[in-house]
Amino acid sequence: MKFSKSFFVALLSVSVLVSCTNDDDKVVDSGDYNEGVLVLNEGGSGQGSVSYISNDLNNFTQDAYTSVNGSDLLGKYVQSIFFDGDNAYIIAGGSNKITVVNRNTFKIVAKIETGLVNPRYGVVKDGKAYVTNANTYSYANLATGNTDDYVAVINLTTNLVESKIELNATANRIVLENGKLYITEPYVNDKVLVVNPTTKTLEAPINVGSDADTMEAKDGVLYVLRSPYGVSSEIVKVKLSDNSLSKITFPAELQDAKNLDIEQNKIYYTVGTSVYGMNISETTASKTAILTYNSNSDYGKMYGFAVKNNHFFIADGGDFTANSKAYIYSLAGVLEKEFTVGVGPNGFYFNN
Amino acid sequence: MTLKKLILSVFVLLCQCISAQNDSINNLKEVIVSDRTLHFDNKSQTIQVLNDSVIDKNQSYLTNLLNFNSVLYFKEYGRGGTSTVSFRGTTASQTAVVWNGINVNSLLNGSADFNTFTSSDFNSISVKAGGGSVSYGSGAIGGSVHLNTNLVFDNKFENNLRLDYGSFNTIGVNYKMNLSNKKWSTQVGLSRNSSDNDYDYVDLYTWQGVQRKNENGQYATTSLSGNVGYKISAHEMLTFYSQFSNTDRNLSLVSESDSKTKYINTFSRNLLEYAETEGRFSSNYKVAYLTEEYQYFADIDSDYFTFGKSESFIAKMDFGYQLIESIKLDGIVDYNGTKGFGTSFGDNTRHIGAVALKAVQKANPKWQNELGFRKEATSDYDSPFLFSLGSSYAFTSFYNLKVNFSRNFRIPTFNDLYWEEGGNPDLQPESSYQTEVGNVFTYKKFTLTETLYFNKIDNLIRWVPVNGDVWSPENTDRVNTYGSETILGWANSYGKNSFAVNGTYAYTISKNLDTDKQLFFVPYHKATASVAYSYSKFSVDYQYLYNGFVYTRSDNDPNEIIDAYQVSNLGFNYDFKFLESSKIGFQVLNVFNEKYESVEDRPMPGRNFNLYLTLKF
Repeated sequence: MKFSKSFFVALLSVSVLVSCTNDDDKVVDSGDYNEGVLVLNEGGSGQGSVSYISNDLNNFTQDAYTSVNGSDLLGKYVQSIFFDGDNAYIIAGGSNKITVVNRNTFKIVAKIETGLVNPRYGVVKDGKAYVTNANTYSYANLATGNTDDYVAVINLTTNLVESKIELNATANRIVLENGKLYITEPYVNDKVLVVNPTTKTLEAPINVGSDADTMEAKDGVLYVLRSPYGVSSEIVKVKLSDNSLSKITFPAELQDAKNLDIEQNKIYYTVGTSVYGMNISETTASKTAILTYNSNSDYGKMYGFAVKNNHFFIADGGDFTANSKAYIYSLAGVLEKEFTVGVGPNGFYFNN
Repeated sequence: MTLKKLILSVFVLLCQCISAQNDSINNLKEVIVSDRTLHFDNKSQTIQVLNDSVIDKNQSYLTNLLNFNSVLYFKEYGRGGTSTVSFRGTTASQTAVVWNGINVNSLLNGSADFNTFTSSDFNSISVKAGGGSVSYGSGAIGGSVHLNTNLVFDNKFENNLRLDYGSFNTIGVNYKMNLSNKKWSTQVGLSRNSSDNDYDYVDLYTWQGVQRKNENGQYATTSLSGNVGYKISAHEMLTFYSQFSNTDRNLSLVSESDSKTKYINTFSRNLLEYAETEGRFSSNYKVAYLTEEYQYFADIDSDYFTFGKSESFIAKMDFGYQLIESIKLDGIVDYNGTKGFGTSFGDNTRHIGAVALKAVQKANPKWQNELGFRKEATSDYDSPFLFSLGSSYAFTSFYNLKVNFSRNFRIPTFNDLYWEEGGNPDLQPESSYQTEVGNVFTYKKFTLTETLYFNKIDNLIRWVPVNGDVWSPENTDRVNTYGSETILGWANSYGKNSFAVNGTYAYTISKNLDTDKQLFFVPYHKATASVAYSYSKFSVDYQYLYNGFVYTRSDNDPNEIIDAYQVSNLGFNYDFKFLESSKIGFQVLNVFNEKYESVEDRPMPGRNFNLYLTLKF
């Protein structure tokens, strides 16, 4: 078990110490960084980083990657992580690379440094990773910036990009369900793109409307949260067998909803600094906040959010120049712990 | 250059001020300094002069010269990369760069990139510490850097050629020609400094053990200048200064897989000046036309770029009147019209008019009092009433006291006001009240200047996220900066041996009043030292720089700092007396192969070499 200096600092700085619900006697046996939560910090002017919180919330390493790999650079604007087997794949969008580490030891295994341009999110199917690439942006490439996004197909044995699936649209988040890839992008695209990874072809997209971002598939239904500016947010339910749509329109006071996450038959989402939940079978969205946390951040409220193991995990983006916070709440909305993580924490990944 | 001249020029550096002279032009002065009032009207503040003999000992860019010879702190994105300054704990846009008396800070981002200036394009470079907005306008809060052209009227035809070749295929060609008689003076300059700049990072390897190096770091700066002076009569003089420069740089990669980008900066600066004196009256008319443009290529293989450009027209009239023998008054009226445009904002034009009044009283040869006011008017924001009040008194031949109190400002830039989206048209200028006390001790050939200052800066402009993902500038921060500056020099010669020793030290506190934290990228400590020794035709010099640690984050996270570093350079040259003077020189830079960086993940080169040849004919 590794006790870094930052772990002690974090312990001292924790203001609320509530004993946690999990069994404390669990032994970390296969490495330093498994059985826990990885907090991805996208970084500001410097490099991104990964913080580690053990499942029992008692062990913490602020910068796991650097403490294992020394001066090696994870890259700028670390966007997301996906897993395959013993490996974690850390995508650095601003540096066009994916760093492959052993998910237990965090020791670097490989780097994928060619064939990626502004990579965003990835999923794995049959030994291959499918990673969305924003490629060029329209502000720097008016002609094709909004049509040149692609999915990089990476052979996870060789760690090389072996082909590209051109999307002719913008792409960001990606979900794998029933052997198909579903892709959203909230700023330009108003459809969910559908890709058949076997044939590497685009299928008919699903017209969900603009500003669709987070999504999750469950029991043959793709739940897509969209939050157009100035009007009610909504969850679009796509029945994947026939791509038919139904909607849950949010109450007018819940605009700009984010961070859809489905856990144990409940749909959770956030508005501002509050967390809401509704049963998956319900047709109206709850407007009763489960919890509201304090944030001084203008841009980074609920910058990262996840529900897992009977906890809410909340990352506050802070000012994007200083280390910011991750908060862990019980499902009842009671603050259990807070940790000072890295700059611009944007997501939680569960390494079990 | 003869040995005596060398000693003399080294010694001039040590003097805080050029010896007092009447600043009228009707005498038969041999050298006309472009910004004549810099030294005469500012005795209450400290001005450090770096002349050509010092410029020659440093690498081509202005960053290098000032980093090793002044209290200024630089944040340099790798060798030759963009380089901004912090002077007295202030921000990059709170130091004014003044070209022949005209403020040339970027109107787009407010700051100056010191790696777009080639030091040898100028005849002398002065560093004036402390507020100077009354004379030099926006940004003269921490201090100002003055790039001056000196025109010689002396029946001369003189050529200076310097060729450099150094590590990383660094090539320099610097040529200057002076042609003059008693009435006319012409100076033409040309310089080009370029480098592949692909240096190895000291002691840094990829995860596979491959030596890391500076990739995509190549740069080239080309500069042309032409300056003409004509003495119309004993009372009238016309001068024209012109400079064009282009810096074409790739921006070096942090990770090997980063996108390769490129940045091109182009400047043109033109100034026409007419000066006249008649009895107690003097008048000075200036018109200037300045342009600056940047082009940013997000992908070096694509022709697409984003850009920003500004074009400024400046007219300035200065009427002087010698009230009584000891008091000179100056009334100044000026106009500045700037058009800014680019990819990120539409056409915007700003007009600024200003009235200023200055008075200098030479109570006696030991005592000078200075007073100045300036008020600008513009449609874009409310401009504060600026003033400067100072006094210099020489108690004895070895002790001179200087006191100055001033109010200074930094106006919002075009980016601040008009950037789409986020630009905030309601911004107010940053403003500062500053007070300083300088003590100058002179004993024989030894000079020590010790200055204490306090600077209260309000309405600091910072870009913050306001709604959704839009960032916008606001007048949000309040900062107090205070500290001390020490500059010392000594030079002497014994027979054929001559010595010169110089040093600077700055202790700087720069505190955000709302958070009580030190501003990031402001070192508490910075020191420089140099020792030069020459014997007959041979000379050797040693330069040393100590830069204390800096925080890289606003919360002063102790784990996120740039470590302190010490860099030493060693140079030799030999004058082999071909033509008028011909020197061959060799420099070992970063002699001790220090591993250092001034910005995180932007390592600077280890030990490297430079060979040069200067010909004077």
